[in-house]
Amino acid sequence: MINFIITNMSLVHINIFLAFTVSLVGLLMYRSHLISSLLCLEGIILSLFVIATIVVLNTHFTLASIIPIILLVFAACEAALGLSLLVIVSNTYGVDHVQNLNLLQC
Amino acid sequence: MNMFSSLMLASLSVLTLPIMSSILNTHKNSTYPHHVKNIISYAFITSLVPTMMFIHSGQETIISNWHWMTIQTLKLSLSFKLDYFSMIFVPVALFVTWSIMEFSLWYMHSDPYITRFFKYLLTFLITMMILVTANNLFQLFIGWEGVGIMSFLLIGWWYGRTDANTAALQAILYNRIGDIGFIMAMAWFLFNTNTWDLQQIFMLDPNLTNLPLLGLLLAATGKSAQFGLHPWLPSAMEGPTPVSALLHSSTMVVAGVFLLIRFHPLMENNKTIQSLTLCLGAITTLFTAICALTQNDIKKIIAFSTSSQLGLMIVTIGINQPYLAFLHICTHAFFKAMLFMCSGSIIHSLNDEQDIRKMGGLFNAMPFTTTSLIIGSLALTGMPFLTGFYSKDLIIETANTSYTNAWALLMTLIATSLTAVYSTRIIFFALLGQPRFLPLTTINENNPFLINSIKRLLIGSIFAGFFISNNIYPTTIPEMTMPIYMKLTALTVTILGFTLALELSLITHNLKLEHPTNMFKFSNLLGYYPTIMHRLPPLANLSMSQKSASLLLDSIWLENILPKSISQFQMKTSILISTQKGQIKLYFLSFLITLTLSMLLFNLHE
Repeated sequence: MINFIITNMSLVHINIFLAFTVSLVGLLMYRSHLISSLLCLEGIILSLFVIATIVVLNTHFTLASIIPIILLVFAACEAALGLSLLVIVSNTYGVDHVQNLNLLQC
Repeated sequence: MNMFSSLMLASLSVLTLPIMSSILNTHKNSTYPHHVKNIISYAFITSLVPTMMFIHSGQETIISNWHWMTIQTLKLSLSFKLDYFSMIFVPVALFVTWSIMEFSLWYMHSDPYITRFFKYLLTFLITMMILVTANNLFQLFIGWEGVGIMSFLLIGWWYGRTDANTAALQAILYNRIGDIGFIMAMAWFLFNTNTWDLQQIFMLDPNLTNLPLLGLLLAATGKSAQFGLHPWLPSAMEGPTPVSALLHSSTMVVAGVFLLIRFHPLMENNKTIQSLTLCLGAITTLFTAICALTQNDIKKIIAFSTSSQLGLMIVTIGINQPYLAFLHICTHAFFKAMLFMCSGSIIHSLNDEQDIRKMGGLFNAMPFTTTSLIIGSLALTGMPFLTGFYSKDLIIETANTSYTNAWALLMTLIATSLTAVYSTRIIFFALLGQPRFLPLTTINENNPFLINSIKRLLIGSIFAGFFISNNIYPTTIPEMTMPIYMKLTALTVTILGFTLALELSLITHNLKLEHPTNMFKFSNLLGYYPTIMHRLPPLANLSMSQKSASLLLDSIWLENILPKSISQFQMKTSILISTQKGQIKLYFLSFLITLTLSMLLFNLHE
């Protein structure tokens, strides 16, 4: 599989793909602060935006050039939501340590 | 037409006069106790005449007076059976009671309710007389219950004392358990022989008498403090000493044995019940003798001695010798009552001290009491030709030469030896050595009431055995020939017990104090029997009945079976199965691992 990637992709593709993967791993594996997870979420959205723009521009798929813009809009909403959740957590506990979010256990 | 029945009825009815005088209020004056004592002595002398007529001619009488009621086919009437047993027991009981009444004139002198005390004692005597002269089971039951009630009232005489109240209640409860057996026997006799008259029962001679005789054995176990229903007798020592002397040594506790003796025609034919009786008596006599070895209260030692002698009487019934058992009842009354009276004299002289560890050196200070105590103990252990010898030695000889259970025989012999041991213990602790009581003493035995009453019983303890056994007519033939070692068995084990006890007691002057061993604790705490049986079964019974009565219907059937059980089950299983712990990092991590794994798998399967 790795041979397949290296023979058929250029360096740019690898770069973008790796940015996405690193941000994904950063979203799923973090120490204790919720905000680092939100940051990585922004990273994911950024890399997705770049991938979408490059693909649309390279293939001259003009009709789909609205997609990155809409992606940005939704990213803004989602970032706002994430930040509001962060603010609520921070209001209750003072810090945003994720180990505090354990009320839903049985 | 002779005066037999008239004199006997006169003697018995004279006893009821002081009770009826309470209607006329003559019982409020201070000479009432003297009246009671005098009346009992007159009744005794009056009853001697019918007894001597009976011994001379051998006639038995049944006085059937008053037809009370007829219930369908059962005729109940007031009938007195004056046969061998009642004719000899009545004078003995009256004699002993006369002495005890005179003794309690001295002992209870400072008691403000002394007239009530004498009335209670007299009522007890009347009910005991009803018991022994009863010809039908109903009248016997009246006397039976009567002695139980009077025992309750007399044990709890000093009712301000908690221990006395619990002891009185204990006596009633244990007697009640025995009464269940009595009533079962009465019911069986009613169903199968259609009567409660002893004559008819013996004439019909029913075949399968296991059930009623078991009932009567249970009744005797309850009333005569055999093993299993025995703790009430040592606890009954909470009552005043005259009560212990009268009830719990001579008269009431022999009621159970008397009942079994009355039914000896039925018991002769039933080997099973005889074996049961034998084993029960053997275990009682040994167990209570062991318990008597380490008690520290003088009255409790004598109470256990009574219990052991009662076991011996039951053993005698078990080897099919009712007449010997009856002889032992009569002779035992003399020296046991005297032993209690001597201990009462000691207790009062030492200012109400009952612990033998605080007595001593009374050999020189109270010579008369010492004499009677030693003679009483010798009579108890069966010293040749004193009173106890005539009954006890005969019992041991007959047991040795009869075809009987060897274990029961061995137990009886060991208990005989232990009798000598604890008697020596009493003598050693109370009489010998240096005084261990306080220096300011009130030792005074110079009261004529005390001296005369003990003197009468003393003469009785020495001569009564000889006198009675020479004058009764032969009933069962005692074993005449036996090897010399069997003849001397009782004497040998008694002397062995005496020497052993004396040696051990003298050694204790030189011992250092040791902690009590397990065997000592077993003996001192009465074999742990009261400790276990007074707490565990009532607790188990009451908690089980409470749970079944209150909790069973409401909380179990209505609440717990469906609703609460479903909810509990659901909660438990959901906790068990679910893995939600609120750990977000783990969820993310598992998501990542799943993703990675799936990508690897997806791409590596070529």
